Amino acid sequence: MASQRKRYVAGALALALPLALAACGGDSSGGGGGSDGDTLTVWHYENDDSAMGQAWAKAIDIFEDEHPDVTVTVENQTFEQIQKNAKIFLTGDDVPDVMEYNKGNATAGQLASQGLITPLTEEADSRGWADTLPDSIQTTAMYDEQGLMGSGDWYGVPNYGEFVGVYYNQDMLDAAGIAQPTTFDEFEAALATFKAAGITPLAEAGAEYPLGQLWYELVLHYGDRDLIDDYQLFADDVDFQNEAFTQATEKLDEWIKAGYIASDSAALTAEDMGVSFINGTYPIMVSGSWWFGRLVEEIPFTWTQALFPDNTMHPGSSGNLWVVPENAANKDLAYDFIDITLRPEVQEILGQKGGLPVAGDSSAITDEKTKEMTENFESILDEDGLAFYPDWPVPGYYDVIVSELQSLVNQSKSPSEVLDGLSTAYQDGKTDLLEG
Amino acid sequence: MTTVDRAAPPSEPRTRGTRRGRRSRDWVGYLPYLLPGLIAFTVVILIPFGMNIWYSLHKWKGGNAPLRWYGLGNYTDLLADEQFWTSFRNSIAMILAMVVVPTLIGLLLATTLFDVLGKRFGPRVASVLRATYYLPQILPVAVAGVLWNWILNSQTGAVNVVLREIGVANPPNWLGSTDTALPTVMLVLIWIQIGYPVVIFMSALQRVDPELYEAAELDGAGWWHRFRAITIPQIKPETFVITLTCTVAALKVFGPIYVLTRGGPESSTLVPSYYSYLNFFDKSKVGYGAAIANVLTVLIIAIAVVIMVLQARSARREEEGR
Repeated sequence: MASQRKRYVAGALALALPLALAACGGDSSGGGGGSDGDTLTVWHYENDDSAMGQAWAKAIDIFEDEHPDVTVTVENQTFEQIQKNAKIFLTGDDVPDVMEYNKGNATAGQLASQGLITPLTEEADSRGWADTLPDSIQTTAMYDEQGLMGSGDWYGVPNYGEFVGVYYNQDMLDAAGIAQPTTFDEFEAALATFKAAGITPLAEAGAEYPLGQLWYELVLHYGDRDLIDDYQLFADDVDFQNEAFTQATEKLDEWIKAGYIASDSAALTAEDMGVSFINGTYPIMVSGSWWFGRLVEEIPFTWTQALFPDNTMHPGSSGNLWVVPENAANKDLAYDFIDITLRPEVQEILGQKGGLPVAGDSSAITDEKTKEMTENFESILDEDGLAFYPDWPVPGYYDVIVSELQSLVNQSKSPSEVLDGLSTAYQDGKTDLLEG
Repeated sequence: MTTVDRAAPPSEPRTRGTRRGRRSRDWVGYLPYLLPGLIAFTVVILIPFGMNIWYSLHKWKGGNAPLRWYGLGNYTDLLADEQFWTSFRNSIAMILAMVVVPTLIGLLLATTLFDVLGKRFGPRVASVLRATYYLPQILPVAVAGVLWNWILNSQTGAVNVVLREIGVANPPNWLGSTDTALPTVMLVLIWIQIGYPVVIFMSALQRVDPELYEAAELDGAGWWHRFRAITIPQIKPETFVITLTCTVAALKVFGPIYVLTRGGPESSTLVPSYYSYLNFFDKSKVGYGAAIANVLTVLIIAIAVVIMVLQARSARREEEGR
């Protein structure tokens, strides 16, 4: 009898254990506050020392001053964690009130079309965000029902921007007797001069985004705004064998053949590229404003940053977005917080720290280098020259571009075959997107 | 033997009957103890597998997006998908790198450690070496992968720096060229994998009755003969276990590929689980990703069943033989 009872107790325990474990799992994922209106849960993935981290700390101070009854909980996540898992955790109830998320069709657009984030159009109009933000910045804030950016409802609000330009090692330019190129021809001549002197000119990386961005700079060099609207916003069909794409891909192929890009760079990462520029192996690096802080900190030689010569459009966009999950408990507080991040006090911190504010003013910036970069960015905005990134149009395109351009570096495919590969994946992805 | 067989039948039905009766009562008593496993199995395996099958019959972006019925469309799409076939072709390379080569080398190392080093230098030396071989298994694959990425970096990696020092002008672009990426990944996998068969085989060798070797030695059998006639048949069960677990691991390998190459360059190191992940998460083609995962699951179950049937057959044959 006693043993019988023991057996049942064991059985009950066995039943209860998984439930208890499940309960623990539910608790430990943390996150969401109650719907009581007295907490605001913010998720972001910026370093505390970064321009964004510092600006947002200020925004939280202001928010707390204005909402003395509300507790703000900030949870630091990682980019990958949010990027890969958002569509899983956002279906639950345990979500933040406001979170940072990557922008573009393949990311925020997906969440918007999946109904996981809240439309913000009403707030954007009533709070004046639509007037504060420049046009090409707004493009990445709006998504239609299929998750395509550029039209439809507001789903996110950017605070800062980013763009791709050219970093020069001035000491190496001087040593080779080259003036900083101001035209595309001069740029090519500079590459040739370095190569003739036995120096591979371009720092590159085939395993990650850098090579794709260089390719896109070339597409932008040969193409126009219409082509980019077709490519990025699906305004019209894109022919990958047209002039701009063909010329760009052939030019890149030519540069690879000429040895302007190291032939063994197919498996190198962006980090490898940055380090090799910083340690003076290569004199020129075509990459984004996100390197700025690191370069200021680590580079021992004289360097400058300029826009890609002759281009009127440049890879770049708004920075990541603030989005409000559909299941958020305290949406009104979230809107208040987003509004605060666009205020001049917060935007000024972004500007001073080199964070390229979208609603700021470069004239107040004291540091010379930061000012130079911010002015470059403002000149792009004035010309409506942000052309986004090559991998944005369709989900999963990043891997396709990386893989196809690796073939070009390894010289295992011709430019025409590379374009075919890019075209097929683009068309398939586009069909999937439009079918919903 | 035949006499035993003939003598057995009369008593057999009775014993079997009583045993069955006792067994059925016991079964009820043990039921509560089985429940945790059953619940865990249902929650962790059965329900997700069912959901995965359900997803694979739809086109779905994930999240709150609507599921659109697609029938077996995802599966027929797979048949025409070149990358899908590439990924399964690469699985064969993974089996070579995670099962065949490590098992052979592991057997060689284990016998060397056991027969030669263990006997000549004492068990301590052998166990230190065994632990060394096992180290890559303990290292988290993320750490090992990052280290190998550094070592194999085409420009600054240790291997190529050394090769350049000794005068190789164009050292291989290990993980960057389609010709070398897959073999390089295979080498890293062999390095990771080797400790596992070594440890299992060494414990198997300790299990073998030394009298068998002594008797064979008295009969004049050399090392090779003893190895073939005694060692290999005696450690057969362990060989099956290694083959089964490693084959399953090779088919579903994900971590090393994710850390080393992400399926690149030019998809030359794509494997099914990474391809499924790519579709499921990066491309938001949840149904398609689920279909790939299901094909992989069915394949793994089929191969596991084949290996287990072979094992059971070989065990039966051994019993009959004795």
